[in-house]
Amino acid sequence: MAQRSEANNVGFLMVIAILAWAVPGAGHYMLKEKKRSIIIFVTIVIVFLIGLYVGSIGVINPIDSKAWYLAQIMNSPIVAALGHLTSSAPEKYRVFGRPNEIGQYYTSIAGLLNLLCIINAVYLGHLRGSNLEHPTPSKTEG
Amino acid sequence: MSLMVSFVMASFVAPENIGTNPQSMLLLLPLVVAIAVIYKVTKMPKITAVSFIKEVVVLSGSIVIFIAIIAIALFAFTWLITE
Repeated sequence: MAQRSEANNVGFLMVIAILAWAVPGAGHYMLKEKKRSIIIFVTIVIVFLIGLYVGSIGVINPIDSKAWYLAQIMNSPIVAALGHLTSSAPEKYRVFGRPNEIGQYYTSIAGLLNLLCIINAVYLGHLRGSNLEHPTPSKTEG
Repeated sequence: MSLMVSFVMASFVAPENIGTNPQSMLLLLPLVVAIAVIYKVTKMPKITAVSFIKEVVVLSGSIVIFIAIIAIALFAFTWLITE
């Protein structure tokens, strides 16, 4: 019984992590933290879009900028689709200089901030799961 | 409508022209505010509008002030070793 509930908890945490990665803030929304989820979604989407606006979608470059791409992909799986698009026609989307630099900063920091939110959502889910598994005596009595 | 959509999409396909002038340092500010917002949203036990905005402003201000202090210190250091 304990093993089953532990497996359920791990599955629940996985769902939270995947949702939080797919849509920024969705992990917190699942945990009924609506205010937090709205703030996270708006902030991360705005930062990511500023990065794309400044540097164009060419800043997502999975071939020549692998390290930046690792951080950028933390935003959402949509980044992988954009990376596929830019790598299919590198000459068309290539961007150099300061716009590339600023765009990479913005999109990568948005990704790393979303990673922080994913970890936070999983941690909150874990805390709530362990509270359910080991309820306080006052709640079990009666 | 389709012209509007095309215009919006086009703005994400061509990069903006950003120089290396002092004004380009202002691009730091939205990033600092975003970092402060996400940090505070994960750390605050309860979020209310007033306390959240206050905390974000204080953290953003602290980051900007420390960046300015480090910039001044580095500038002074380079001035000392080059003069």
